[in-house]
Amino acid sequence: MTIQTQPQTTRDLRLAARQGLLPARGSGWLAGFGNMLAKELGEWFCTRRWLWQFLIWLIIINGFLALTLFVLPALASIYPELKPTADGVFAGLPPEVGGVMMYFSIIVMTGTIGVIILAQDEIIQEKQSGTAAWILSKPAARQGFILTKLLSNTIGALVFIVALPWLVTLVEIFLATGQLVPLVPFLVGAGVVLLALFFYLSLVIMLGVLFESRGPVLGVAFGVMFGGLLIRNFFPPINYVLPLSMEGIALMVEQGMALPVIFVSQLISTAALSIVFILVALWRFQRIEL
Amino acid sequence: MDTSNSLVIETHNLSKVYKEAHALQGIDLSVKQHSIFGFLGPNGAGKTTTIKILLGLIQPSGGQATIFGHDVQRDSVAIRKRTGYLAQEPRYYEHLTARQILGYTARFFYRGPKDLIEARVQEMLELVGLEDKADRPVRGFSGGERQRLGIAQAQVNYPDLLILDEPAASLDPMGRHDVLEVMEKLRKHTTIFYSTHILDDVQRVSDTVAILNRGKLIAKAPISELLAGDGCSAIYDITLKSEAEAALVGARDRVTGQPWVQNLNLEAEGSLTSWQVSVSDDGAAEDLLLRLILEDRSLKVKHFGRKTYNLEEVFLELVEKENSK
Repeated sequence: MTIQTQPQTTRDLRLAARQGLLPARGSGWLAGFGNMLAKELGEWFCTRRWLWQFLIWLIIINGFLALTLFVLPALASIYPELKPTADGVFAGLPPEVGGVMMYFSIIVMTGTIGVIILAQDEIIQEKQSGTAAWILSKPAARQGFILTKLLSNTIGALVFIVALPWLVTLVEIFLATGQLVPLVPFLVGAGVVLLALFFYLSLVIMLGVLFESRGPVLGVAFGVMFGGLLIRNFFPPINYVLPLSMEGIALMVEQGMALPVIFVSQLISTAALSIVFILVALWRFQRIEL
Repeated sequence: MDTSNSLVIETHNLSKVYKEAHALQGIDLSVKQHSIFGFLGPNGAGKTTTIKILLGLIQPSGGQATIFGHDVQRDSVAIRKRTGYLAQEPRYYEHLTARQILGYTARFFYRGPKDLIEARVQEMLELVGLEDKADRPVRGFSGGERQRLGIAQAQVNYPDLLILDEPAASLDPMGRHDVLEVMEKLRKHTTIFYSTHILDDVQRVSDTVAILNRGKLIAKAPISELLAGDGCSAIYDITLKSEAEAALVGARDRVTGQPWVQNLNLEAEGSLTSWQVSVSDDGAAEDLLLRLILEDRSLKVKHFGRKTYNLEEVFLELVEKENSK
């Protein structure tokens, strides 16, 4: 005969209860989710990674913005021949709008490269090293494994690439112009660029599940990014599908302008494709042999 | 309910095919509660594949497997809640310390105040003797230390079933001794299913053994049965002393004349002659063999005994027989 003891009567739980421990929460998709998420977030916030990420993005985004808001105008006042350059940086826009535009543009370009590099190893490394097999020999759901990787990287990108530079940008623009950027529209615009980052994060996570080495993951992700930018001039319909104008969309949203159909389509498609990538990753990882 | 004979692991016709290669071919296993089940086989026999199927890490191509009555594919998380697993080459996050790894592992099973989790972690560190290395990153651990950590993380939930894949492979003799001792201690509470190719260890601690070769189960029995042979055929070792050659020849003729004697090998050394008699009917040999020899009173029997096998001989014989098919 086969034993079919109820879990609550097992020896470990009796001993654990005696020691004051309770069974972990979560079953099904949520089995081990909280623990895995805490560990993944710990990699971002409880190691020196947070400091490096904070400094890197502060220098890249806000450093460049400071250069254009403070250094270039100061240099132009000393060297008048630099004035056209200083004025041209914001393409004739007032500094409070130009600063916001620059924030969106830098994030969409460098932030995308950043998240691709940061996330390219998340799944591949765990599969190759055997740590995925170790984790999933515990009561942890495969879906949770993928979702915590995605969620922790999204939170990391949100905090270090979007939110903290967003705050510093607000201060920089205020110091440079004496004007406060309207918070809610700026926040919604930041949400648009976060969607662009989320698209690439989910793409890279899916590629990490599908492939066994880093080459194809990086190749396909950068191919979508740079290939899309190249192809869109020859094949405009691609603008309806891929997130190729997210900085422009973010600025229009921030400025309260109505979005043309092509941009609405791009937003919807970016969100929909991100969901498709996640579903493919979940479906495939469920069947992967570890 | 008497659970002494209850089955913790059951597989029926379990198979796994990789493209053209049959990694497992119709494996039927049954592992009783509180047993130490040794899973033997040469490298590539399919031991790790079987273990990974049981843990839900890979999917079988056919057949069925249950642990605690739960299907390994459908209810894998429920099974893993009550199971501890040590991989053949345990891998952890290299930058984490042993204490952090055990804490992380423990939180898959329990929630509660941090100090209580920490107390459980400390208990496990003491179990495997890693207290002094608890706060060092795992990247600096030796093979033996990793294996100890592996046992600790496998035991952190006091599992009802402990699955160990080559638990003593990378340990020195003392480490092996410690691991076997831990396994024997745990037997009272836990069923242990472990794969190994160290046959001495199996013979020492296991009560049941299965031998896998090229994906096929070629033997499965309590270890005492396996070492006793098939119950019909047997080999007897006999040492005789005689000054008269004729007495020896007479005895040999009497013995080889029996229908149940298959073979007699002899080796002479001085006045002593050693015989190895293969018989097809152990019962008849037990009754008659010694009497037949002693019919000639000038013969002196210095040693008479049924040959006892060790696991290595059984293992090699079975594997070679299977390979020659």
